[in-house]
Amino acid sequence: MVDLEKLRNAAKEIVSQDDVKYLIGWRDGTFGFRISPHFMESPEEADKLIFSPLCTNNLATYLTMAEKLPIPRGEEPDRRKVAVMVKGCDSRAVVQQLVEQGTNREEVYIIGCPCEGVVDIKKIEKKFPDVLESVEARWENGQIVLKLPGGEQSFPREEVLAQKCLTCRYPNPVLADTVLWDEVEVLGVEEYEDVKELEGMDSKERWAYWQDKISNCIRCYSCRNVCPMCYCEDCVLERLNPTWMFRSVNVAENTAYQLARAFHLAGRCIECGECERVCPVDIPLMKLNRKLYKEVQEDFQFEPGLDPESKPLQASYRPDDKEDFIL
Amino acid sequence: MSEQYEPNIVAFLCNWCSYAGADLAGTSRVHYTSNLNVIRVMCSGRVNPLFAVNALQQGADGVLVSGCHPGDCHYMEGNYYARRRFALMRELLEFIGVEPERFNMSWVSASEGAKWKDVVEEVVEKARKVGPFDQFRRNKINW
Amino acid sequence: MDSMILSKEKMKDFVAALGQQKLYAPQKEGETLRFSLLGEEDVPELDFSNTTVPPKDVVFPQTETLYQYELGGTDMKEPEGGEEGAVMGIRPCDARAMSIVDSLFSWDVDDPYYLERRSGNTFIGLACLEPCVNCFCTSLGGAPASTEGLDALMTDLEDKYLVKPLTEKGEKLFQKAADVLEKATEEDVASAEKLHEEAAAKVARNVDTQGIPEKLPELWEADLWKDVSNSCLGCGICTYLCPTCHCFDIQDEVEGFEGRRCRMWDSCMFGEYTLHASGHNPRPSRRERTRNRINHKYSYYVDKFGTIACVGCGRCIDFCPVNIDILNILTQVKEAL
Repeated sequence: MVDLEKLRNAAKEIVSQDDVKYLIGWRDGTFGFRISPHFMESPEEADKLIFSPLCTNNLATYLTMAEKLPIPRGEEPDRRKVAVMVKGCDSRAVVQQLVEQGTNREEVYIIGCPCEGVVDIKKIEKKFPDVLESVEARWENGQIVLKLPGGEQSFPREEVLAQKCLTCRYPNPVLADTVLWDEVEVLGVEEYEDVKELEGMDSKERWAYWQDKISNCIRCYSCRNVCPMCYCEDCVLERLNPTWMFRSVNVAENTAYQLARAFHLAGRCIECGECERVCPVDIPLMKLNRKLYKEVQEDFQFEPGLDPESKPLQASYRPDDKEDFIL
Repeated sequence: MSEQYEPNIVAFLCNWCSYAGADLAGTSRVHYTSNLNVIRVMCSGRVNPLFAVNALQQGADGVLVSGCHPGDCHYMEGNYYARRRFALMRELLEFIGVEPERFNMSWVSASEGAKWKDVVEEVVEKARKVGPFDQFRRNKINW
Repeated sequence: MDSMILSKEKMKDFVAALGQQKLYAPQKEGETLRFSLLGEEDVPELDFSNTTVPPKDVVFPQTETLYQYELGGTDMKEPEGGEEGAVMGIRPCDARAMSIVDSLFSWDVDDPYYLERRSGNTFIGLACLEPCVNCFCTSLGGAPASTEGLDALMTDLEDKYLVKPLTEKGEKLFQKAADVLEKATEEDVASAEKLHEEAAAKVARNVDTQGIPEKLPELWEADLWKDVSNSCLGCGICTYLCPTCHCFDIQDEVEGFEGRRCRMWDSCMFGEYTLHASGHNPRPSRRERTRNRINHKYSYYVDKFGTIACVGCGRCIDFCPVNIDILNILTQVKEAL
């Protein structure tokens, strides 16, 4: 059960520690159902912290996002901890970053928030259009309760939950320094129905489907930037020599971009669904990621982001890996 | 003019086994089709799966990656890594609508000149069957 | 020319009457609404609040070939000049954005690519009757039925459109389709005006821009820039979907022996945008980039062209993945002044 009082007190305590730089949490956004990441440097700001079904953002992204500005001569880099609030899926992102040494365990403090599923912002804005005032929300016995301007409304959470939450198997943080409240029950089973539906088509139909979607891409790179696993300092997209893909926006280059993005996440994607959430032109990016997730599970019996001691999938092998496709 | 379609295959061969195997096929005067454009790399583990995407984009109708048999890699384990990566890339390309026939991988050792011929003919035959690649080929620069 | 009535049933005939010329209109591509060239069988999708991608890509395409060449040769092939066309269903805010950007593309050096498309196309607006939650056009000198930058304005009257040609270009276009149009009654005109007024009253969000352009540079080192940019992801959504953002990059794309020089949208929110060849980046972090975005729109552009380069369409607020709200930033700026 979410306890905001407890959350804020814990945050105050953590952020007052000498070895903590700042705390990343969620706070109410500026309108409607939106929420905004909250960067908290002093205990006074704790009252803004929230945790509700609207907290979709995966804050693990920010662990690898801070710009590494040049350090003046004679000064030491700031190695204090960054405290971060994580849901189940977000905690897997942190674990995967630790596996890849993108984040240092000594420099992160993980605050676990067991989560009963977050909303799909598109679904909820369709259900309640044109809400300007900031809305409060909470879970209650499998229902989502919204404090709308016209009074409270509650409805079964399945109606508005994000797709990733309906099939989520890890609602509880897999790694945390402190867990704020009791663990919650697993809601979903992953059946990969949408992936299987596409697999059932022939190549021509599949290409027609993807061409239609990918031709919309405007290459804003929000899917790359929001991804907690996309933190290379030197991305293939920005390379001019060699030019892996041209900057022109057309189906060929967009496809190459999406293939590169999806492939670089094979065995690394932890299914937080952020890429699909932020896409302004509604490309079903998670279908690509989930397809690879499924194959990784079937072919290599591997799931990323569960064990900080594991080895990255593509940097390891087993002599008996499948090779039925090799001539 | 009814010109017969000839597929264009880009082949990445590892220096130590497959390239030597192809060389053996040549020195043994084995006859096989000439649709292959060979690129020699030091190890199949060096082949970034994006090479395959790029080859398809730039005009290949099929791609072949060939390395040493498992356990025989000159660098001990390069081909094991390649096998994992290409297993996934193949699934991904298939999922996005590229016919699986266009994307091949093989193990050919330095002594397998005859196998090399069979592999090449199979790859070319498969690519011929599915026809020219036009899914995400770069547009001709002409507008 | 007087206002006229186009019945919704006759939309197909109207499109056909415009003849062979290119017609761009909003089209649904999946869930996304954006302007695209209308095919023969297509009907414009005119029942929307606003398109995801603004119509700027009709006059300023995301990727545009400037010329084509062969390596080793000296010949250049330029693209053929644009044909005449029309863009239908532009919201007044987006049309106003075009007229704001016009001054940039005709300043210093005339940009033939942009200006040719601007003069070759006829722009038919569609008055906004149901402003979105994040619209704030009225704060910036616009209105849901503003006519700036338009050649004609349509207003939705349930079963028909009231069409009001505004320029010669607009009149010419509607004369072509005179057969499918009817004369408008005074009643229609009056009810359209009433709807326009009601719409303007429905715009819920606002900001007072008084004093911002002059004083914004004084806040150069203010703390607020760090606060508002902390959560920025550095993606291009706010700039690519902005109807007034106009930055571009020019690149050579060569394959084999053929190459082309093209320009494509670029975004000041990307780190690469200001990266020097030496490796130095004068805008090293998201703080400087966010500051630049706001300063450019609300201060530099005013200095140069006398108008704020923001029309209040609300897209950057709607689509920002982390709820960076330009109105919130402006409020903080006002407080800090």
